[in-house]
Amino acid sequence: MTTSPNTRRFAAHLVMIGLSALAIFPVYWMVQTSFRPESEVFSTALWPATPTLENYRRVIEVMPIFGILWNTVLMAAATTAAQVVTGLLAAWALVRWRFPGGRLAHSLIALSWLVPFQVVMIPNYVLATRLGLLDTIAGLVVPNAAAAFAVLVLYNAMRGFPREVVEAARMDGAGSLRTLIEVVIPNLRAPIASVSILCFISAWNEYFWPLLLIRKIENSVVQIGLQFFMSQEGNDWGLLMAAATLASLPILLIYLVLQRQVVESFMKSGIR
Amino acid sequence: MLRRQFLSLAVSTSLLLAGVAGSASAQMAEAITEPVTISFYNYNLASAGIGREATLELIAKFEEANPNVKVEPIGAPSNEVLSRVQADMVAGLDVDVAQLVFRDLIYAAEELGAQPLEDVAGDELAKHALGFVPAGLALGEVDGKTYGLAYVFSTPVMFINRDLFKQAGLDPDQPPRTWEEVKTAGKAIAEKTGKHGFFPGAYGPTDGTFVYQSIVMSNGGGKVRDGNTLTFADKDQADAVAMLRDLMDSGAHARIDVGAHMDTFQSGNLGMFLYTSAILNRMESAAQGNFELGLAPMPSFGEKPTAPTNSGSAVFMFSQDPVKQRAAWELMKFLTSDEAYTIITSKIGYLPLRPGIVNDERYLKGWLEQNPKYRANLEQLDRLTPNVAFGGPNYRQVENMMKDAMTEAVFGSGDPRQVLKAAQEQAQPLMPAN
Repeated sequence: MTTSPNTRRFAAHLVMIGLSALAIFPVYWMVQTSFRPESEVFSTALWPATPTLENYRRVIEVMPIFGILWNTVLMAAATTAAQVVTGLLAAWALVRWRFPGGRLAHSLIALSWLVPFQVVMIPNYVLATRLGLLDTIAGLVVPNAAAAFAVLVLYNAMRGFPREVVEAARMDGAGSLRTLIEVVIPNLRAPIASVSILCFISAWNEYFWPLLLIRKIENSVVQIGLQFFMSQEGNDWGLLMAAATLASLPILLIYLVLQRQVVESFMKSGIR
Repeated sequence: MLRRQFLSLAVSTSLLLAGVAGSASAQMAEAITEPVTISFYNYNLASAGIGREATLELIAKFEEANPNVKVEPIGAPSNEVLSRVQADMVAGLDVDVAQLVFRDLIYAAEELGAQPLEDVAGDELAKHALGFVPAGLALGEVDGKTYGLAYVFSTPVMFINRDLFKQAGLDPDQPPRTWEEVKTAGKAIAEKTGKHGFFPGAYGPTDGTFVYQSIVMSNGGGKVRDGNTLTFADKDQADAVAMLRDLMDSGAHARIDVGAHMDTFQSGNLGMFLYTSAILNRMESAAQGNFELGLAPMPSFGEKPTAPTNSGSAVFMFSQDPVKQRAAWELMKFLTSDEAYTIITSKIGYLPLRPGIVNDERYLKGWLEQNPKYRANLEQLDRLTPNVAFGGPNYRQVENMMKDAMTEAVFGSGDPRQVLKAAQEQAQPLMPAN
């Protein structure tokens, strides 16, 4: 028995629709729970009987959620910018020049990727405190200003860049930095976009370092803010879901605007 | 969990290297004549809601009464507050007062440099403790000295879904008083309503061991350790766990996700839930419009008296500076005063360390008349039995091993006594040698 291409396509779409529904359902549940009054939080109905914006009102009342979101955007953007810049410079140095210890430096950078952040967290904390960075956004960014992941991805991208073009730029009198900025970077937009997106998402999801460094809720970031509705004495699910919905909006916006690049980033770099 | 343990270990090592712990204390100042700022590490501040609001109110009232003292509140979740204190000590920041859970008691005293209050406050401690419950000071004692002043604490009570009782043909006004009755009621609820019968908040990752210890010590008074010798697999202690296993095998004990007990009860799917009374306000909100909530004292083993053990936390002083010590002591006194417990009990739901205030018009009398359910919790204060903390640097690991074994004994299929015995043998080498 043979199946027609239409049937096969239909079956494939059916599977994909099913998988998409599975992926979207938790997000849907988060959003609809955020509209539930407290007495309906544990109901299994697909939509609240009496939808309310009370949870959003309470979140805004008890927590400076918009300030926290702004802090998170600022922290994630600054961390991303710093990681891309340091990544580009380090990768360029490793690719452009052959120097004694170059391979060792590359290996050490790669190895540092394997060191969990928890290992360096306390020394970082002591240093950040001494530098007066406690409870500041700068304190969240500085220890993460360089990332092995960014260096390695950009290093691999630059290695594939034609040497002839770099040589031509040099013969035209361009210095190393000018070659990087005017020749290499414009041609590496795709990998830079990938690294930026992944660095942004990783910074956005950062939990442990802000947990340690930030002392006041108004200076906090969104992942710590969410914890604000969870305690040993139970969780405020309605408020938590309202805050989580608000917290996921910026990331959702990035997906909507940069959908193609985001998917490519995950495909090229592996899902992190 | 592993990350947290690793973090604790890393910080502990750093503390030892930095030589922070165990520093000698100076003589506390007689009075505060100049403005001083003290830090107050607090886990109620780390989450939104009544706990945070009440704590901020307490701090504001204290500052109003002590204009020379400024309190810098630092919030951290209850399972992270110790790490935050340790990290700040390593970083050279002043840690003055910290609210730590009772399981950290010995570690705080022996490794972190918490101040023994008898040495710092002298006679003032005994004077302040007048009016405490009989076991009040003992809750924070290590080797005869008070390091932690019991602050927000509670005992396990039985939350009852009265609607499920009625549906199962049981009388909610006569809730089970013994474990035998819990078994009967739990089976009836499970069989007749299709919902879950009974569950104790004794197994999950954030529950501590106060419910477990309460059950164990109610079976004859045996504790989970004797000195540094683990005894949680001894006969009476193991029999108590075997009783829970029997409840499980009979169908009276719910087989649910150990981290979801509170949600299961709040959703109206659990008939009896043994857990800290500190969640009373939350349970009342969840029950509103969904089911009728009841409250009963924790069940007993036949005629044996129950041994309700304290959940919650104590406040510890870490200040080294004499003036800061005075400020810290004044804050600790205020936090455990009649006025403070009126706020703590009526707004958050914890037990008052000073039971006299429940019959005092100026404090809790009016509130208690409006909230008679709370009496079930107060009834247990006379039998309050201090939670047993473990000593040595591996104390959390030992406690986790004990709890994991207990969970396996109840939820697994092996002989519960053998499971506990094997875990005890495995955990003993992690205890201090003497």
